[in-house]
Amino acid sequence: MQAKTIKNLALASALTLASSGAFAACSFNNDVQLKSLSSGFDAWKAVTGAMAECGNFTPTLDNDFKEKQPDAFAAKPALYQIGGVNNATLVPLLNADTVRALDDLVAKYGSHLQPSQLIKIDGKIMAVAMMVNNQHLMYRHDILADLGIAEPKTYQDVLAAAAKIKAAGVVDYPLGGTYMTGWNLGEEFVNMHLGFGGSLIGSGNQPAIDNAQGIATLEMMKSLTAYMDPEFLVSDSTYVQKQFQSGKIAMANLWASRAAAMNNAEESQVVGMVKMASAPVISETGIPASTLWWDGIVIASNISDAEAEAAFKVVMEGLDTEMVKANNDKAVWLISGYQPSAAAEGAIATAMNGAKPYAAGGPEGIMHGVLGSGLADYLTGKKDAATTLADIEAAYTSKAKEAGYL
Amino acid sequence: MKFKTFAWFVGPSLLMMLLFILAPLISVFWQSFNLTQPVMQTQMVETCTPGFITQICVTEEKTIPVLDDEGNMVTTTTFVGFDVYRELLQPEKAWQKITAGDWRGLLLIDFWGALRFTLTFTFITLPLVIGLGLGLAVAVNSLVKSLRGSVIFITLLPFIITPVIGALSIKWLFIGDGILTAALEWWLDKDIAMFAEAWTIEFLMLFYRVWHAAPFAFVVFYAGLQTINSDSLESAVIDGASRLQQLWYIVIPHLMPLIVFVSLIHLMDAYRVFEEIVGFSSQSHVISLQWLTYEFLVPDQAGNRSVSRASASAMLTMIGIIFLLIYPLRKTWKQYYGGNS
Amino acid sequence: MSLPTYRQLPLSMKLFAYGFVAIWCLIAAFPILWVAVISFKLPIDSFDHNPLVVLLGPNTVAAGKGISVFDLVMFIGLVWALFRVLKSKFMIWGRHSGFAAFPLLGWASVSLGFMLLIVVTLFMVLPGISAFVNPNLGFLGQGIIGFTLEHYEAIWVEREFYRNFINSMVVTFGVVTISLTIGTLAGYGLARSGTKLAFWLLVVALVFRALPHSVLVAGYMPVFINSAEILAPIFGDAAPTFYGQPLAVIAVLVAINQPFTIWMLRSFFQNIPVELDESARVDGCNHIQAFRHVIMPVMWPGVITTGLFSFLLAYNDFLVTSLLLDMQNQTMVPAIANFFNMETTSTDQVQAVAAAVSIIAPLFVLVMVFQRQIVSGLTAVAVKG
Repeated sequence: MQAKTIKNLALASALTLASSGAFAACSFNNDVQLKSLSSGFDAWKAVTGAMAECGNFTPTLDNDFKEKQPDAFAAKPALYQIGGVNNATLVPLLNADTVRALDDLVAKYGSHLQPSQLIKIDGKIMAVAMMVNNQHLMYRHDILADLGIAEPKTYQDVLAAAAKIKAAGVVDYPLGGTYMTGWNLGEEFVNMHLGFGGSLIGSGNQPAIDNAQGIATLEMMKSLTAYMDPEFLVSDSTYVQKQFQSGKIAMANLWASRAAAMNNAEESQVVGMVKMASAPVISETGIPASTLWWDGIVIASNISDAEAEAAFKVVMEGLDTEMVKANNDKAVWLISGYQPSAAAEGAIATAMNGAKPYAAGGPEGIMHGVLGSGLADYLTGKKDAATTLADIEAAYTSKAKEAGYL
Repeated sequence: MKFKTFAWFVGPSLLMMLLFILAPLISVFWQSFNLTQPVMQTQMVETCTPGFITQICVTEEKTIPVLDDEGNMVTTTTFVGFDVYRELLQPEKAWQKITAGDWRGLLLIDFWGALRFTLTFTFITLPLVIGLGLGLAVAVNSLVKSLRGSVIFITLLPFIITPVIGALSIKWLFIGDGILTAALEWWLDKDIAMFAEAWTIEFLMLFYRVWHAAPFAFVVFYAGLQTINSDSLESAVIDGASRLQQLWYIVIPHLMPLIVFVSLIHLMDAYRVFEEIVGFSSQSHVISLQWLTYEFLVPDQAGNRSVSRASASAMLTMIGIIFLLIYPLRKTWKQYYGGNS
Repeated sequence: MSLPTYRQLPLSMKLFAYGFVAIWCLIAAFPILWVAVISFKLPIDSFDHNPLVVLLGPNTVAAGKGISVFDLVMFIGLVWALFRVLKSKFMIWGRHSGFAAFPLLGWASVSLGFMLLIVVTLFMVLPGISAFVNPNLGFLGQGIIGFTLEHYEAIWVEREFYRNFINSMVVTFGVVTISLTIGTLAGYGLARSGTKLAFWLLVVALVFRALPHSVLVAGYMPVFINSAEILAPIFGDAAPTFYGQPLAVIAVLVAINQPFTIWMLRSFFQNIPVELDESARVDGCNHIQAFRHVIMPVMWPGVITTGLFSFLLAYNDFLVTSLLLDMQNQTMVPAIANFFNMETTSTDQVQAVAAAVSIIAPLFVLVMVFQRQIVSGLTAVAVKG
């Protein structure tokens, strides 16, 4: 508590004044009250921050956005004009028809958008994507090099490397994993199951996980957890990222949007030691155990056309080259001006190796949910693999019936 | 008091409760017997999404809801009787497990597992809270006067601080290599992971609840001790009663209405245990009844909620609490008429 | 003053009682104090597994952010002085603050004033003095314990936590006043009516209190979100959307809180002799007049205690506020849950801890001030039970 504190205080308040007083880098002055609801990770902070420069815009960054968005957009008038979505959370909005087609607005204001940014459903532009994301391998190349281990390409390699690292005892746990019960754990299963060549849902929306691929997936997950922190069922992406940063783990399949954090000198003790690589493939199929995601923006349909136009103009300011240049490493952007750096290597390699897009849909959403809550019983040893899968399919069936899919 | 006057006094409060508690309750009751579903259609949809380099377009069969002219989903509501309850309780499967003596198997059915945890949680914490509260009240009452104020202040802290923050502050001491886990590891000289096993998490949750709820019991009992008639104690001393006898024959009977009151409050609060599940992220090991309801209500990423099952689970939770309350309520009933006559 | 004989405990039991209380106090206070300690350190110290490192914060000191012995002494002295003033003068100031008719408002404003005073001293006066004095003190002026307020600054200034604070105040104040107003009336009515109806109302209220809140909230959600559409036929374009409105949350919390409030206040009013208002009624007052002139002057101990419980419920609520308020109107508790949920860095986490400490600090002050009222109010409720 020195004089510096006072100076900081004064400085901070001066900054707040400055940023609210002038609309720094926005090409126009927005005079329509606008609100947005999106997820809260770094890339969204960057985009909504750029949008706020236009004035009269209040972003809501909420990690539980997917629980609020469908209702909020169904209200008349919609509670938010702008929504941040990804492949999965777009589905309920499309189903309820609460987001509008953007073709005319894109034609009018979106000439600078890349063609790959336009999410088209039956030929109509329903969303504008801004970034792609996937889970891929991050590893401590110093440790692996010391122990004479080559970059793991398959999950067999990963297990062999983990065994060696464990034997050498150089880190607390060889592996990290986003195995937190719920969405994270479900996502791990989906990645692995797709890698084994399975699919979640079969014809007629019937479940398709109680099969050889399902068993193989579960067994692989269990053998991986043997090398993880025993508290893996409560470890989410942030927890794994921190384990990496403090040098407690040597390898993990982690989101591309976390890559830049490894080299953040303020928090990480492993700056420059973490290398990004493709998600390991399943040797039987040669498919990487990962799924491709995108994040983007939608405009509500239950608002006036004037509001929609203003909202879209503000969105375009958020998704411009200037924003990307200032936040290059925070995501793998789709926006022109993005320069892929070392942080993006793993994400790109994963895609090049043939990882599949996350199959988004109503039944898949249900399956992801029941997987997330049903898998823990297997990993804690309460149920065997066959029972677990049968119970998950039963849970899926009753929920899908309720939702009208069966 | 005339009925009309009574109505004027009670009216506003009653109105609030009818509007914000009874009305939702009725809708929950109705929903637990009915299933509302959107009408679905299957059609081919072409979807174009960004790949990493080029756009990927796929045409596939999708099941999507039918919309009416105004853009709202068309839904049908059907009366399904006890189907939803059956779905939740799985009576055949449960009965089969019970007859086979497979208790572990029974508890793997979500509802029965949640019921097991909720009941053990309630009935283990209840005597601990009452006992600790009573012990503290008697102990603090025997301290010198000048100390009591500060001790009461410190004692009340776990009760007043925000439950979410309280749970987190205990979790931080133990999660990963939290300082207390590190201390335990150093003391026992082995690797400990408090959040890896069911029983350690359950223990932490019980500990947290006792830590949080005992101060309330304490302050109520302490207040009760201040109203004890010193004559009766003194006559007991003259009769040669030991301290334990004084406690047993005079103090506890005097505090009995308060013990019933605190038990009542604690039964209700412990039975809806929820914050602990969230705060200690225990859902992979144990869940509670209210958490089950909550989980049915939270939409998954495709926006599906199981409203009917949530309603049924809520109704079952309510039936359970009424069973738990019958005994203390009978006491209150007697006391009510005893107190007024 | 010698204690009556029955209170004089033998030494062994006395030691046991003191030891028991001491251990309990340690268990009760430790997690909370620890959280407070963490919030004043740099992240690298905060999450160390060695308690001494967390306590002393060597890395925080190394970064030039330490307090000296002089700072520490000054700080403790000031806190103690403030505490004394608060304890002795608070009730008096509250009563003389010009809101005689409505003491709650007076106390609320005095509390706010006090908090402002503490913040100003801690962030402005103390650093100023120490910047001036420390360099001239030699060893006593050197930083020895890591201490930084930067996380608090980040939370309150950069992240504009004061908005959440204001929202919390609005919601809490609304809940306490409305809840007490209608609860006092109902409690009095129930206490003075010995009918079966009154009993059954109380039982129903009890069952209401036992309901899981998530069930109720699920009932409100769709109605609140679509209220503009539902109410449009009545109010036209002016129909409000309840979702995200503090007023709607206040109504919900008042309702959830009613059962407990009316039970407490009924017990309290039962302990006020019936003869008191009956004599007033003999003098020609009706029930409402009797309530105003006879009961109101003596009801404050019970009302204050009940009010404190309402305050705690409203201020600490997480489930209702997080589901029914959106980001712009969020109160403090769901706001920090959001801080924790976001994809966070260690710095973010310590900031969230600082926010958590900011939330519980007012509760500290509150209990310090009203502690005696809690006990005496509960005593009044407990006379008959």
